[in-house]
Amino acid sequence: MDLSLTETQHLFVDSVSRYLNSEYPLSHRQTLVSTDLGYSEAHWQTFAELGWTGLALPEAFDGLGGDLIDRMLLHEQLGKGLVLEPFLATLGLCVPAILWAGSDEQKEMLLSPVATGQLSMAAALQEASDPLNLQAIETSASTNDEGFILSGTKSMVLNGTGADYLIASASLDGAETPTLFIIPADALGVVVEGYPLLDGYAAAEVRFESVQLPPSSQLGEAGQGSQIIDHMIAHGILCVSAEAVGAMEVLYQSTIDYAKERVQFDHPLAEFQVVKHRLTDMFIEYNLAKSMCLKTTLLVNEQSPDASRHLHGLKYLVGKAGRFIGQNAVQLHGGMGMTEDLMVAHYFKRLTVIDALFGHTDLHLDAFVNAPA
Amino acid sequence: MDLSFSDADLAFQTKVRTFIDEHVPKGQALWTKRSEWFKALADQGGWDIPKWPVEFGGPGFTPTQRYIFDLEMAKQPTPPVLPFGVGMLAPILMQYGTKAQQDRFLPSIRDGSVNWCQGYSEPGAGSDLANLQTRAVLSDDGTHYVVNGQKIWTTLAHIAHWMFCLTRTDNSGAKQEGITFLLIPMDDPGIEVRPIITLGGSHSVNEVYLTDVVVPVEQRVGEEGKGWTYAKGLLSHERTGLAGIQNSVLALEKAKQNARSIPLGDGTLLDQPNFRSKVGALEAELLALEFTEIRTLAQVAAGGSPGPESSILKLKGTEIQQRISELNLEAGGLFGSAWGLHSPGPSFARGATQHYLGGRATTIYGGASEVQKDVIAKNVLGMG
Repeated sequence: MDLSLTETQHLFVDSVSRYLNSEYPLSHRQTLVSTDLGYSEAHWQTFAELGWTGLALPEAFDGLGGDLIDRMLLHEQLGKGLVLEPFLATLGLCVPAILWAGSDEQKEMLLSPVATGQLSMAAALQEASDPLNLQAIETSASTNDEGFILSGTKSMVLNGTGADYLIASASLDGAETPTLFIIPADALGVVVEGYPLLDGYAAAEVRFESVQLPPSSQLGEAGQGSQIIDHMIAHGILCVSAEAVGAMEVLYQSTIDYAKERVQFDHPLAEFQVVKHRLTDMFIEYNLAKSMCLKTTLLVNEQSPDASRHLHGLKYLVGKAGRFIGQNAVQLHGGMGMTEDLMVAHYFKRLTVIDALFGHTDLHLDAFVNAPA
Repeated sequence: MDLSFSDADLAFQTKVRTFIDEHVPKGQALWTKRSEWFKALADQGGWDIPKWPVEFGGPGFTPTQRYIFDLEMAKQPTPPVLPFGVGMLAPILMQYGTKAQQDRFLPSIRDGSVNWCQGYSEPGAGSDLANLQTRAVLSDDGTHYVVNGQKIWTTLAHIAHWMFCLTRTDNSGAKQEGITFLLIPMDDPGIEVRPIITLGGSHSVNEVYLTDVVVPVEQRVGEEGKGWTYAKGLLSHERTGLAGIQNSVLALEKAKQNARSIPLGDGTLLDQPNFRSKVGALEAELLALEFTEIRTLAQVAAGGSPGPESSILKLKGTEIQQRISELNLEAGGLFGSAWGLHSPGPSFARGATQHYLGGRATTIYGGASEVQKDVIAKNVLGMG
C-alpha cells in the first residue's frame, strides 16, 4: 500500500495552491459573485491553460490523463479557495456522464473543448416538485420525425447561466425511468433564468419550451438515464466532498489562529479548555472526513464493488463534519463569525450548500446502513 | 402535588384566550394593526406591559398568571414588542432612575413611540463585557460627560432614537468598577452608525462610533461607576425568556408540517427514520424543558426564588431552537440555498435557511453558551 502523493501530484497541488492564494483572494471572489455570470470566463480559460480542466480527461481529448485521485486533489484546493468557476457542473457531473455513456461523436464534440476551456456544461436534473429526488421527471420528451421534442422546467441547475451545453433528464414517450439528452444552451426554446446560491455559486431555472432535438442528442440508451444519473451523483459526491475537506481545513485552522489571537478575560481564547477541546474535535471531524474522502475516491477509481456503500458513508460524514466544523467556527469567532466580512461566513455557507447537494446526512446514512457490506 | 391550574387560574386562561380570539388580526399583516393591538392590550389594564409593576401601570399578574399570559400569547402570531425599551431599559429606570427620568422616558417606551438600542458590546468586550473602554469624561463644571469610543453588535441602532450605553468613567480599579450607565440620543452629531451585514445578507446589527458626544448628567442613570451592577441585573432579564420554549413548540409543529410536504420514496420526509428520530428527540426534550420552566414557576409562585434549574433554560432553549432550524433546512433540500429575488421550490425553504444562519447568533449573544456554562458551574454548582 502506498498513500503518498507522486512528485508530479505534489508539484501540481503546490502550483494550484500558490496560484489561488495570489490570484483568487476573497475580495476578488466577492466581486465575481455579484456579476450576472457569477464567475470569470477569463479565469476558466486560465485554469484550462494551467491544465486544471483537462486534468482528469483522457489524452485523446486534449486532457492530461489524470485519474480520480488527481481530480480529488484539485477539488480539495478549489474548496480551499472557494473557487466559483464551474468545475463541479462541468467536470464533476457532465463529463463523467459523457465518458461513461456518450457516443464517440458526443465525446468528440464536447470533451476536447472542455479540456481546452472553450466550453462549460450543466446538469439539469432537479425539479421543484420533488426536492430530494434527482431522478424525478415531470419533464417530458417525445419522439418525432426529426428526433425529440423536449418540454419542462428544471430547477437549481448549477452553472445554468454559463453553460454552453446542458444534460437534462426527461421521461421519453411517457416512460417511467428517465432518458438523458444533451442540449445546446442556445437551442430555440431554451429559457434560462439565473440566480445566485447562498454561497455565491451561480444556478438557474431552465425551461425547455418544446425544444427540438436531433436523434444524436440522446445520451446513452433510452431508459438508461437512471444509472447515468447515479453515476453523475457518485462523481458529484466525490467532487463536493473533496471541496468540503478543503473548506474544513481552512475553517478549523483559521479558527485556531483566531482563538490564539483573541483575548477575553485577560487570556487568549485558546487557553480555555472548552475552546481547546472544541478545536480538537473539529480537527478530529476534519480528519475522518478527509480519510473517508480519500478511501472512497480510491475505491471508485478502481471500480470496487464496495464503492457505492462508501459513497453514502462519505456524504454522511462530510455533511456531519461540515456542519460541526462550520457551526463551531462561527460560534468560536463569536459575533465576528456572524459577519459577511470574514471568510468564516463564506466557508460556513459553502459547507451548508454542500450538505444539501445530492442529499443531506439522514438520507445517506439510511442508504449506507441498507447497502450490502 | 397537582398538575392542574386552580379554578381562578383557569378562568384567567379563558379570559386571555377570549381576548386573543377577539383581537388577533386574523389573516392581516400584523404590523398594520400593531397600534390597535397594543391599545387593546393597554385597555385591559396593563396587558401591554405584563412585566411592569403595578405602580408603573403594570397588571399585577401573579407568577402563574404571568406564565399563562406568556403561554397563550406565544401560541398566536401576535405583533412582537422590541425588547430594548419595555423589557430591558424600563426595569432599570424603575429601580435606579430618578422620578424625572421615569416621567421623561417611561411613557414613550410604553407606547412604542421611541425606539431604544443597547450600547454594551465593544470590539474588545464581547463575552468579557466588563472590559469595555468607551470613555465618558465629566466636564470640570460637572454638568455633562463627553463620550468617545465604539460599540458593536448594536441591534437596530439604525432605527433607534436613543441608546442606553455603558461607558468607562474610571480605569483605576477592577474593571467591573468605574462603569457608568448613560442615556444618549442617537441624533447627536457625534454619533455615526455603520451597518454590519450578517450571515445570509441581513442587516440588524451595527457598529456605533461615538466622537465627543455631549451627555448632560441628567441622562446618567444611578451613580457614577455603578453601571455594571445595573447592567448585570439587566442581563439576567435578557437571559430569561419564557416565550422561547413555546415558540419552539410551535416551530417544531411547523417543521413537521414542512417535512410532511416533501415527498420521499413512498411517503414523505417525516417518515424517514433518522429525520423522525430527530423530531422525536426534540419533542421529548421540549416536554421536559417546558416542565423545567413550570418547576421554576411553582417555586416562585410559592414565594421562593427560582431554583438552580432555571439557569439551564436559555442554554437548552437556544440549542433546541437551532436544532429545529436544522430540520427545516434539511426539508428544503438544495432549494433552501436559492438566493435570488424569486425562490423556486418549497415556499418555506429560503426562510428556513435564513433562520438557520441567523439563529447561529442565539448561542453567542446575551452571554455565549460557553461563558454561561462557566457561570453556572461557578455560581450554581459551586465549582470555583
